[in-house]
Amino acid sequence: MLDPAGHALNLAAALIFALYAAPLARLAGLAPGLSSRLAGAISSVNTVVGRTVKWFALAMVLVQAGVVLLRYVFNISLLWMQEIIVYLHGGLFLLAAGYVLHVGAHVRVDVFRRVMSEKTKALVDLLGAYLLLAPVCAAILIAAGPYVAQSWAVREGSAEGSGLGLIYLLKTFIPLFAALVALQGVALADRSVAVLRGEDEVAA
Amino acid sequence: MSEVLADLPFCACIAAGYLDVLLVLTVCALLLAGFPAAFTLAGTALLFALIGWSMGVFELSYLIPYPQRIFGATTNQVLIAVPLFIFMGVVLERAKIAEELLDEMAKLFGSLQGGLGVSVIVVGALLAASTGIVGATVVTMGLLSLPVMLKRGYDPALATGSIAAAGTLGQIIPPSIVIILLGDVISNAYQKAQLSRGVFAPETVTVGDLFAGALVPGLLLVALYIAYVMGTALLRPASAPCIPAAEIGDRREAFRSALKTLPAPLILIVAVLGSILGGVATPTEAAAVGAVGALFLAGHRTAAGPSKTLIRIGAAALIATLAAGALAGPQGATGGLALAAGAGTLVALAGLGASIFCLLRTSALSEVTEQTLRTTTMVFAILIGAALFSLVFRGLGGDARVEHLLAAVPGGPAGALLAVMAVMFVLGFFLDFIEITLVVVPLVAAPLLAQGVDPVWLGVMMAVNLQTSFLTPPFGFALFYLRGVAPESVKTTDIYRGALPFVAVQIMMLGLLALFPALATWAR
Repeated sequence: MLDPAGHALNLAAALIFALYAAPLARLAGLAPGLSSRLAGAISSVNTVVGRTVKWFALAMVLVQAGVVLLRYVFNISLLWMQEIIVYLHGGLFLLAAGYVLHVGAHVRVDVFRRVMSEKTKALVDLLGAYLLLAPVCAAILIAAGPYVAQSWAVREGSAEGSGLGLIYLLKTFIPLFAALVALQGVALADRSVAVLRGEDEVAA
Repeated sequence: MSEVLADLPFCACIAAGYLDVLLVLTVCALLLAGFPAAFTLAGTALLFALIGWSMGVFELSYLIPYPQRIFGATTNQVLIAVPLFIFMGVVLERAKIAEELLDEMAKLFGSLQGGLGVSVIVVGALLAASTGIVGATVVTMGLLSLPVMLKRGYDPALATGSIAAAGTLGQIIPPSIVIILLGDVISNAYQKAQLSRGVFAPETVTVGDLFAGALVPGLLLVALYIAYVMGTALLRPASAPCIPAAEIGDRREAFRSALKTLPAPLILIVAVLGSILGGVATPTEAAAVGAVGALFLAGHRTAAGPSKTLIRIGAAALIATLAAGALAGPQGATGGLALAAGAGTLVALAGLGASIFCLLRTSALSEVTEQTLRTTTMVFAILIGAALFSLVFRGLGGDARVEHLLAAVPGGPAGALLAVMAVMFVLGFFLDFIEITLVVVPLVAAPLLAQGVDPVWLGVMMAVNLQTSFLTPPFGFALFYLRGVAPESVKTTDIYRGALPFVAVQIMMLGLLALFPALATWAR
């Protein structure tokens, strides 16, 4: 039995994974413009997200320092302030993971990569996008469906009454993380196909 | 052909019993292909989960806790310290405090034999204490000091060796990011180990304990590095020439300007560390206040005119307000003190606002948040990938196998520890500290701790061991980073030759720790 939220998640997941056909088509020489435009659009979405959530880092510092000051100097503890930090922290790395993939800042083991040709690197990225990255994102979306839906159904709040009571929103970051990374995977695949076909000046 | 096919079910049957081993081997092989580690870890694990499920040796229900694991990474109070410390480190790095320090230290000590080498190590240690990220430290030091040392006629091997070694100090000298992660992993493993022995009111081990444990070995390493550089300079003066006094200019002038640069960042670092070690604040709290302090420092450097004064007054007000809080004790400030503290807070806020405004205008703050975002996300993506890996590995019976293997190593706990250390040392050649901490340590720590190994001592041994691995030719990470920024004239063999004596120092440190565990456990 699935409630509307679960259905919506499954639908979104199906849509995202349908997009993985575009780079494959480009690899076969079909509709290269479509794949490339799609990759561009996805990258700009993730760039907007990344450029927004990076300020969460500054906000975390300021709110946490405020918590410390209130507690140590004035003996005031505000649960909602503590919770804001948790939300900012979760939002920071869960929402930015797609952007970080876009800028290539996820750590790679580069013992061999540094001696690989551009085409070999592109092949690794292409295979990785389809065989490693996309399945993981799909698994997270599937597993997170019931987990998040249950949280939404009861509008899961905080353990204590005085909190913000938005735990269900925080948990929604998990499928969002998978969705944004899966989308960026399409762009990664497209860029790799471009390099493999010697068309990478389009992407640059 | 038909025989091969006939053998397949048999092979598959054997393989089904060793899927956990195959998983580890496959992950290692695939990681080397160079796809982002987080997705390689998770993707390979998922593949093996499906293979195991199709063979009937893996229950997909093992994957149900996965979203909860990811959620746990967002709510874990200890892990919240990670982005805060990264932020503080990036601010200090961007404020170019290290550059200035190195410059002034060189002026102060450059006229001594080996003085430049000693400066590099001291600044490396300070930089390590503030940023705690290896790659960044090695690259910064390599770009800043290697050209200077080479120009002054330093032996390229000695120059590169001291820079690489100083750069790796970032992982051992607290507050290092990896020690925070290691602390989280080891404290979980310690709980598990005690429960498995039937201790139902387990002792805890905190990140602060690990910081305290790493402090003395870290400082000892700095002392040993300095001793090596000075010894070499004495025995082979040509390898570490001094800068002619005429070029340095007025020593007193250099001393005075060093007195102006050095104290503020040093006090900040000591205050952050001191409040954690003294049990006054949690690492998360100390990191946030440290980051605000770093903002004040960086803002003060960028600002000019009245806003510079405002920032200075704001910083003083912040310190005074925190002091008022300490004076008031746990009940908080009351009466007049509360009023004064309130006024102090407002002034501090004005100063902080001015700092942030100055840093926003030069777009320095935008770069800081960008870098913080990238590093934080990179760390937590590996955490998310490693979580799936460990769920699948456990589901395939890998935990039990590691436990049996470690129990079967001859020599009891010491033998098991030695085996783990050797494996980690080799893994350090191609995996990052973060990956090893989040993937390997959870597997081996609980069985070792259950055999009675002290958790803090274990954590510090692991940290020094990995640091050694990163320095060891030909695969050490630090050497790669340095090769990347060193001029062509420096031969790779020079870098290797330079690193070897420091590797010897590291091994000596490991020996000292093994003989005198109190070096790490003194605070417990």
